[in-house]
Amino acid sequence: MWRGLWTLAAQAARGPRRLCTRRSSGAAAPGSGATIFALSSGQGRCGIAVIRTSGPSSGHALRILTAAGDLPPARHASLRLLSDPRSGEPLDRALVLWFPGPRSFTGEDCVEFHVHGGPAVVSGVLQALGSVPGLRPAEAGEFTRRAFANGKLNLTEVEGLADLIHAETEAQRRQALRQLDGELGHLCRGWAETLTKALAHVEAYIDFGEDDNLEEGVLEQGGSTWWGRKTPVSPQRLPSLSLFACLLSPTADIEVRALEVALGAHLRDARRGQRLRSGAHVVVTGPPNAGKSSLVNLLSRKPVSIVSPEPGTTRDVLETPVDLAGFPVLLSDTAGLREGVGPVEQEGVRRARERLEQADLILAMLDASDLASPSSCNFLATVVASVGARSPSDSSQRLLLVLNKSDLLSPEGPGPRPDLPPHLLLSCLTGEGLDGLLEALRKELAAVCGDPSTGSPLLTRARHQHHLQGCLDALSHYKPSKDLALAAEALRVARGHLTRLTGGGGTEEILDIIFRDFCVGK
Amino acid sequence: MFYLRGCGRWVAASFTKQQFPLVRLSSDSAAPRTPHFDVIVIGGGHAGTEAATAAARCGSRTLLLTHRVDTIGQMSCNPSFGGIGKGHLMREVDALDGLCSRICDQSGVHYKVLNRRKGPAVWGLRAQIDRKLYKQNMQKEILNTPLLTVQEGAVEDLILTEPEPEHTGKCRVSGVVLVDGSTVYAESVILTTGTFLRGMIVIGLEMHPAGRLGDQPSIGLAQTLEKLGFVVGRLKTGTPPRIAKDSINFSILNKQTPDNPSVPFSFTNETVWIKPEDQLPCYLTHTNPRVDEIVLKNLHLNSHVKETTRGPRYCPSIESKVLRFPNRLHQVWLEPEGMDSDLIYPQGLSMTLPAELQEKMITCIRGLEKAKVIQPDGVLLLLPRMECNGVISPHHNLSLPGYGVQYDYLDPRQITPSLETHLVQRLFFAGQINGTTGYEEAAAQGVIAGINASLRVSRKPPFVVSRTEGYIGVLIDDLTTLGTSEPYRMFTSRVEFRLSLRPDNADIRLTLRGYKDAGCVSQQRYERACWMKSSLEEGISVLKSIEFSSSKWKNLIPEVSISTSRSLPVRALDVLKYEEVDMDSLAKAVPEPLKKYTKCRELAERLKIEATYESVLFHQLQEIKGVQQDEALQLPKDIDYLTIRDVSLSHEVREKLHFSRPQTIGAASRIPGVTPAAIINLLRFVKTTQQRQAAMNESPKTDQCLRNADRLQERQL
Repeated sequence: MWRGLWTLAAQAARGPRRLCTRRSSGAAAPGSGATIFALSSGQGRCGIAVIRTSGPSSGHALRILTAAGDLPPARHASLRLLSDPRSGEPLDRALVLWFPGPRSFTGEDCVEFHVHGGPAVVSGVLQALGSVPGLRPAEAGEFTRRAFANGKLNLTEVEGLADLIHAETEAQRRQALRQLDGELGHLCRGWAETLTKALAHVEAYIDFGEDDNLEEGVLEQGGSTWWGRKTPVSPQRLPSLSLFACLLSPTADIEVRALEVALGAHLRDARRGQRLRSGAHVVVTGPPNAGKSSLVNLLSRKPVSIVSPEPGTTRDVLETPVDLAGFPVLLSDTAGLREGVGPVEQEGVRRARERLEQADLILAMLDASDLASPSSCNFLATVVASVGARSPSDSSQRLLLVLNKSDLLSPEGPGPRPDLPPHLLLSCLTGEGLDGLLEALRKELAAVCGDPSTGSPLLTRARHQHHLQGCLDALSHYKPSKDLALAAEALRVARGHLTRLTGGGGTEEILDIIFRDFCVGK
Repeated sequence: MFYLRGCGRWVAASFTKQQFPLVRLSSDSAAPRTPHFDVIVIGGGHAGTEAATAAARCGSRTLLLTHRVDTIGQMSCNPSFGGIGKGHLMREVDALDGLCSRICDQSGVHYKVLNRRKGPAVWGLRAQIDRKLYKQNMQKEILNTPLLTVQEGAVEDLILTEPEPEHTGKCRVSGVVLVDGSTVYAESVILTTGTFLRGMIVIGLEMHPAGRLGDQPSIGLAQTLEKLGFVVGRLKTGTPPRIAKDSINFSILNKQTPDNPSVPFSFTNETVWIKPEDQLPCYLTHTNPRVDEIVLKNLHLNSHVKETTRGPRYCPSIESKVLRFPNRLHQVWLEPEGMDSDLIYPQGLSMTLPAELQEKMITCIRGLEKAKVIQPDGVLLLLPRMECNGVISPHHNLSLPGYGVQYDYLDPRQITPSLETHLVQRLFFAGQINGTTGYEEAAAQGVIAGINASLRVSRKPPFVVSRTEGYIGVLIDDLTTLGTSEPYRMFTSRVEFRLSLRPDNADIRLTLRGYKDAGCVSQQRYERACWMKSSLEEGISVLKSIEFSSSKWKNLIPEVSISTSRSLPVRALDVLKYEEVDMDSLAKAVPEPLKKYTKCRELAERLKIEATYESVLFHQLQEIKGVQQDEALQLPKDIDYLTIRDVSLSHEVREKLHFSRPQTIGAASRIPGVTPAAIINLLRFVKTTQQRQAAMNESPKTDQCLRNADRLQERQL
């Protein structure tokens, strides 16, 4: 062929020809990449919610949602009917603004949708946007980062950017933890594990199947014979190899198809059933018998928790939605933190710690009359100090220290320990100090809820659906064709979507499974 | 049958053709008393030979220093090249006009493309290579490379001078001191000494320093590197004993014949030197429970296995296999060592048991009942620079058993993606010294080091292959950002953009850049790649432009399993995606304008491959762009991460950045533990300095302290 090639080359050389116009390295033009969307107004009571998109498909998305052929005039508010592109169902009458790049917040094409603030409308618009090809929910700080990369932020504006991104990442992480709490998280992690293992086995088969004598006996998985046979190997570099390929496919195939069914069922289900746990997450914590349940009952004005003088009364996390100073709050009562008690209470303590991780605001409670006790000291040293030690900008998690049972302090006696961090005094019994606490809560909640970065559960849900759908779509491209590289690519993409939700996902993970499960090597 | 050698742009070359194997010594030329070169390469293994010839191709007067000229091109471990992932590397080395693929094509005795049935993106070009032929052909090539001088000699020390102020690094290398005290000066120095640094051979409980007896050339160099502050780690590897061919009963074993036709490694070769029908077979046998028994009973005699030094998980000794996966049969491939060699290489039997037990174990294996373990000529004299290799000290004069090697490597996070060290300016490391394993991994680094050493001399920007451009890029990026704790080997699973970085398109990806940015590619190869690129682009657009209804396609090509229920027109490119369709059947259906694309078989095959991956690659492009965007954001090379105050970073992140010194935001974000917030802070720092730079240029009379601060970021961005 070489000679034939050169004849052609010579012919080509005579005529005019285009040379190497594309070079595969170098800076890509700004604006390339995905189009992102997010809810950019805070939670709480608001009449209008603002949803923003940025990226090259913004205009396309706007046209699709407004079912209009042309874009509204740039930088003018226009009233449009938004409808779901899949069902055609109307979503809301909204103000839309079209900002063609580079004169926009991020420097890319941007659209703002000002919709009526109810969760149903917001959720509907977010899901509609997620269904437009090329659009995906924004990652933490992505809008700001794009603005920054395109030179749209000056340096003073950028000062707080890293902190903001840190806070946003943290808030999204907590939000994701909440969403992944319980069954959904269990499911996602299970799916990710299945996919990672399936992918590892396909990768092993690609990388080691022939060159390194992937040894077949090892492929038996937990009693079942993965590759179908237990008899000694046939030479895998021989043509009979195709037998091996046939044996691989059905098993991986069965697992992947099962996963597909489970995901599909979940997605259909999720549209109806998934509970939205919106509002700022406020968690009451402290050593046993500090009066946490009393405070929860006081704040929610109803008997949510059983109150008794016995330490360790509350053993599970009790969650109640309340309206505090005008902000939607999900208030959680938790078991008192202590070691060395029975297994049920230990589980309660574990759940309490888990919930603490997810909190936007921690109400740390101590018994004012019992500050010297080991449990109080321990609590101060661990929980309060660890949250307090982070600088306010470093941590988006907030903490209020409340000393309960102020009625037990003698009025003329010495006050609480002088080395305590800033705190509030309260008596759940008499109600003294409640106004001060509510005022402090109002300030904190205003900060938490006013910040769009806090991670709206609506966006988190949109993110979940986006990635689960992406995973499902990728799996549908998985077919045990002859081209195993293509099949593996589908699994790679699917796994990528799941690990965006569950974390992890590197190559090392795959290699670890390969070397754990298979005896490869010359 | 001919092959092309890049020669278009060579000048000089006033060497008189000398009879092989004579060596051109530097004193032969009318050089001044202290010889001066552009580039010195230390070590003549797979990294060294590629580095030296790459530097010479780039136009640098180059000196290759090796212990012994007659060991240049020695394949010290397995008698094969290529494989899955490794074959990709060889195609990329070839695309940059490197040697190993062309030399292999002259020396291969058993060609086999692995993964034939798993898709062209993961095809693994592989061949058993005749050790003797490879060495001969390599030496011929090396000794006839213009601008390249070869000299025997052991390097004792580096000559270090004041650093260049415009670069980072605490000093600059300007030459080497040989063991006889003589000096050679050079603008750049490349170290490719393999397992040479404190190499130890282990057999049973015996340990011997690797290196010829009474000859300890590595001490000075190792000490110098240590004094300079290089961080050193320790790795181990092993090699099997060799078996006499005539002592094996092949008749009861599984035979594997080579591919026919053979697929050459090099883009410039249409076929290989030894015809498929003349090539040699391989055979397969297996271990059995008696082998396990011998291993388990004698663990106390086996210090190599017990030690904690990290060995490769994917190239385990038979002892580790037995320990980790007991009660299994393990494969043993019996591979030829050459056309006229009476040795067989038992792949899968690397071991470090005491010699007498090795033979006992081997004779338990089917077909090897009467096997004799043999000491091949020259193995005693091998230099410990290469894969799985070390020198058996001569007093160990039994037959040659398998053995283990333990050696020092330099943490590769101490080098840049151009393979220059952070610490010493113009000093480059390539090959096993960076913690890799394999001929191909070494060769790939060698080419890159050679090119960059040469570019550094001519003060041109470095030649860096990105993760999005090649396996070479993935290899070097993994090493320089993540380091390694076991001998690093290439796998296709390490490559994110596996469907784009295929063996078939390595020329499009690298040859054009190699020609323009590095100058390491011959005119002829460049023109061939350009022609191929434009033909492919033209072919794809033609295939996109032909549209028929699916029923018409079904009529034209009856064997295609296309569904005729679809009403939309179908492009020829989409029809080509079907497994049962190739360019020939398409061209038969639509002769005009497709016929001309079948004239060149390679072009026709490559169009088919492009069609197979077209839709997936379209989606991957966005991701690639994202990575490239981050890689375009360069970090100043001379930030002192430990002390810089303008950037708020945690202590942990500072340490990590300080050690790896990533060159781009992209590389920084791949270092484990570097948080998104840290990345934003770095980004901000880059932008700030950029802005300050711009302001500086507008008003040159800024105050002095600002100017000093800005000098730090002169070359970035």
